[in-house]
Amino acid sequence: MIEQLHQLHSTIESTELHSAEDAEQFRLTYLSRKGLLNDLFEQFKLVSNTEKKEIGKLLNTVKKLAEQKLDDAQIKFIQKTHQSNKDIDLSLPSELSDLGSRHPLMIVQNKIVSIFTKLGFSVAEGPEIEDDWHNFSALNFPENHPARDMQDTFFINDSLSLRTHCTSVQVRLMEEKRIPLRAIMPGRVYRNEAISARAHCFFHQIDAVYIDQNVSFADLKQTLYLFVQEMFGSDFKVRFRPSFFPFTEPSAEMDISCMICKGSGCNVCKHSGWVEILGCGMVDPNVLTLNGIDPEVYSGFAFGMGVERITMLLYEVKDLRMFSTNDSRFLKQFESA
Amino acid sequence: MKIAYNWLLELIKMDKSPAQIAEILTGTGLEVESIESFESIKGALKGIVVGEVLTCEKHPNADKLRITTVNIGTGSPLQIVCGAPNVAVGQKVLVATVGSKIYPTQGEPFTINKSKIRGEVSEGMICAEDELGLGESHAGIMVLPIDCEVGKNANTYFPTYSDYTIEIGLTANRGDAASHLGVARDLRAVTGIPIQLPEISSQIPDTVCPITITLNDTDCKRYAGLVIEGVMVKPSPSWLQNKLKTIGLNPINNIVDATNYVLHTLGQPLHAFDLAKISGQSIIVQKAAKGTRFVTLDKVERTLLGHELMICDSQKPLAIAGVFGGLDSGITENTSAIFVESAYFDAASIRKTAKAHGLSTDASFRYERGTDPEMVVYALKLVAQLIVSLSGGSITSGISDIYPTPIAPINLPFSVQRFTKLIGQDIPLETIKTILTNLDIQVKEDSTADLLNLVIPAYRSDVTREADIAEEILRIYGLNQIAIPAQVKSSVTPTADDFNYQLRNRAANFLSNSGFYELVSNSLSKSAYYTDIEQSQTVVLRNPLSQDLDTLRFDMLYSGLETLQYNHNRKVQHMKCFELGYTYQKIGDKFTETPHLTLWMYGNHRIANWNTAAEPMAFHNLKAVVLKLLKHLGIPEKLDIDYDATHKHLYQAVSISKSKHELVTFGIVKPEIAEHFDLNDPVFVADFNWSSIRKTVAEKQLKFKPISAYPHVRRDLALLIEEHVSYAQIEKIAYKTVPNKLQSMDAFDVYQGDKIQSGKKSYAISFVLQDNEKTLTDAEIDQTMSALIHAFEKELGATLRA
Repeated sequence: MIEQLHQLHSTIESTELHSAEDAEQFRLTYLSRKGLLNDLFEQFKLVSNTEKKEIGKLLNTVKKLAEQKLDDAQIKFIQKTHQSNKDIDLSLPSELSDLGSRHPLMIVQNKIVSIFTKLGFSVAEGPEIEDDWHNFSALNFPENHPARDMQDTFFINDSLSLRTHCTSVQVRLMEEKRIPLRAIMPGRVYRNEAISARAHCFFHQIDAVYIDQNVSFADLKQTLYLFVQEMFGSDFKVRFRPSFFPFTEPSAEMDISCMICKGSGCNVCKHSGWVEILGCGMVDPNVLTLNGIDPEVYSGFAFGMGVERITMLLYEVKDLRMFSTNDSRFLKQFESA
Repeated sequence: MKIAYNWLLELIKMDKSPAQIAEILTGTGLEVESIESFESIKGALKGIVVGEVLTCEKHPNADKLRITTVNIGTGSPLQIVCGAPNVAVGQKVLVATVGSKIYPTQGEPFTINKSKIRGEVSEGMICAEDELGLGESHAGIMVLPIDCEVGKNANTYFPTYSDYTIEIGLTANRGDAASHLGVARDLRAVTGIPIQLPEISSQIPDTVCPITITLNDTDCKRYAGLVIEGVMVKPSPSWLQNKLKTIGLNPINNIVDATNYVLHTLGQPLHAFDLAKISGQSIIVQKAAKGTRFVTLDKVERTLLGHELMICDSQKPLAIAGVFGGLDSGITENTSAIFVESAYFDAASIRKTAKAHGLSTDASFRYERGTDPEMVVYALKLVAQLIVSLSGGSITSGISDIYPTPIAPINLPFSVQRFTKLIGQDIPLETIKTILTNLDIQVKEDSTADLLNLVIPAYRSDVTREADIAEEILRIYGLNQIAIPAQVKSSVTPTADDFNYQLRNRAANFLSNSGFYELVSNSLSKSAYYTDIEQSQTVVLRNPLSQDLDTLRFDMLYSGLETLQYNHNRKVQHMKCFELGYTYQKIGDKFTETPHLTLWMYGNHRIANWNTAAEPMAFHNLKAVVLKLLKHLGIPEKLDIDYDATHKHLYQAVSISKSKHELVTFGIVKPEIAEHFDLNDPVFVADFNWSSIRKTVAEKQLKFKPISAYPHVRRDLALLIEEHVSYAQIEKIAYKTVPNKLQSMDAFDVYQGDKIQSGKKSYAISFVLQDNEKTLTDAEIDQTMSALIHAFEKELGATLRA
């Protein structure tokens, strides 16, 4: 048997494997379950104890040799397949089909909504075709307020119009009397304005309302301050100015330091260093009363912002019409946004 | 609203720049939108000097030009080419020197350069009146009086008035601030500096006013007037003209300018009537008779509706109260005696009138927002004094002041504790009291530390409630002084819309990651898109912007086709896009808004590249996106699919539903529709009914299925079938025949052609078989495949392809 093993060793050693087929044949001959080496291991069980040490050692050496030979051959053939790819010009253009993207207004809207969601606001939506009560009366708009004029509002009939702001959703939530109320209300609104670079007949707003006991103006400032930090970054300054809205009292507008000139003055901020971002205030007690909420017990804050305005500031889009023209050269620029 | 800086400082003495004042005002709620410097002569004649014409010769190369030399006091005279016919030796003229910038009355400003005119050097320009912005005349160069000094700057003889125009965006509630006085009051509230009103030094006689005033309508709360005689109507002096010009008003004559001046100083509108035009020595304030025709100062004849408050004499209307004067009773250059009106009218009544006639005047602007009933008499005295000083007349009557029911100031209790709670910060009581006092709000002596009893001045018609007082204190204290709390207070109240918002984002993100671009299209569309039947259900606007935007979109289809057309016309040949939006319907008296997710695909599915060939978009590309999206959203797999759906806009339409709710319809836009949008290649559209999608998704909770421990096997069959047999039929039979063993199946080859019998086709189908309980034996696999072959043969007449 020793002789047989020596012979086998030299046969294996001299075998040349030229192809994957050769290698497979080699494996079947020597290393498979029905192969030669397996036979020899079977015979080895019958070998006398005196010979066992020497034959065992020899048998293992032959087996290792065969395995090594097969491994080397296999690696060689795999490398050969890989090498056929080696001469390709790696700089040729790869096929990059359109990436696709969300609309910039929706990217910004989502960002805003997610910030407020994190602060515990829930999303609420309401109809665009709205009645006078929800759009105006319940929000303390006086009977002859300019916002009710034909030139501002699209009318459908005597009682219905297209909502001019998302604040109408606030009224619907107050009707459900689910106080505490903490909601963010994104949606589409309409104004009867001629379409130009700076005005459009439809646009997107995000309104928010928080009504509970002990809600204060300081809480409103805090919420909006946190929003600005998240949305624009911590180096932005915030300024509040008194303003007027029928549905809040006190009312304010919030400015942030101009993102274009960083406060030094440019065309975007009309050289003031500030840009207006949103309107806000404490829910007017008349609005609470009109909607059956006791202003002696509850107070609240509300605010609203235009998605287009913020998007224009963020991406430096100068013409409002770009947002609804859907020019693919415009949309493609937001693939990375 | 425009405010003049100098004018403002006459009322409140402050050592602050326009920018510093603007900052204070913006902080109190009077937002300064711009500050612009004002010069009565633009450029203030910088670089323009007096010169003397020393010589004047004909230009050798031009008939109409002369060559002059002009001494401007610099030692060496300048050579200037001049085209004016009136230039002559010895004249004193105005010379724009090289480097100066001149601002003509008409046209753009320009800089004077040293130049050659027809070959002759010209070192400046001898100017005409209009070239310097000094007037309209272009009749020739300006010739100055002979005693003007050579070399002196022109502004010695033509002084420029300089000021700043401060533009304020006045909010609707701040009628009290619609004047220089009103703005000064906010400055006082912040700084505590007192306001100085002009003194009345003129004597008003005690005699009874010859005009009898009768108020026949309660919309006129107070009416006062007096008579001035011997007036000379002429242009106002330059100080007054300049003030009015600073705030953008055109000077008219001394009488009208005086009323405007006092209006903008005090906020009290005033009107001067020609006394000779008032019949019967009487003024009657009453509603107009409906249908009356009345010509206003702008020479427009207006038909009155009957609700307008009118100022009338014994015979006819003279003016629309608080809005606009009448042409016939106005001041003309022949006027010698006037009756001056100062009144207080109901704000709503004036607003209604102004709105009905489309008029907005400085007077109506203030009356609509509420004026000060206590200002009526003082303003009348001030304007009378001014008119006398400007026109040389004299006040010949006492003031007739009719004020039947004086407007009482509002008493308002104010809880400091509630205020503190509302703003979330303690403000010292003394600070609150000082702010209120500086706002003319009286804190009565019977106030306690907790409850202030306040008296609100009549001019603050917007301050009627505790919340209004809170705003007043806050805006003067400074919104930016309120500290931001360290901890966030929250009350969490989830809504159902959270889920829908997230689901929409999930779908939109999937599509945008699959190469689709999200669209935002106008939901206003044109009725011309819709058939008569559809039009009976469309939502139409009563006051549309245009015919192209007169209807709310009834269908999503056209938004996308318009987008594809727009881009196709700009050489974008391939586009995949989607929109999440609403369509709007009117059914009977009910209006509905239906949410959709719609996607459009056009052009090539794959564009040509060096290692891939171009591949046009095909139906199955659309179907794949639709099915993947449904799967991504977690729509259950067992769906009802109708491969034979009919659709008004689509052919090869397929509709998918679940429990009778239609989830999506997709197919190819009929060419006759696509062609209207210049789209000649197929347009693939899928329209998801978002309400159904939302409902279906909401019902399903994903559950984990154990992974089978036993191996699966794959077996293939090449089936020869009739042309009309569909894969869906084969699929249905297969799952019905071996429901527990068949895990999935797929078609990997489709053949139709010469190699098989005509009218037949061959589908090569793979079947993946698995048993969840055990490893399938060869016998079981063969048995399953025979069952399938048998079923296909029996139900579809299928044979195995050799």
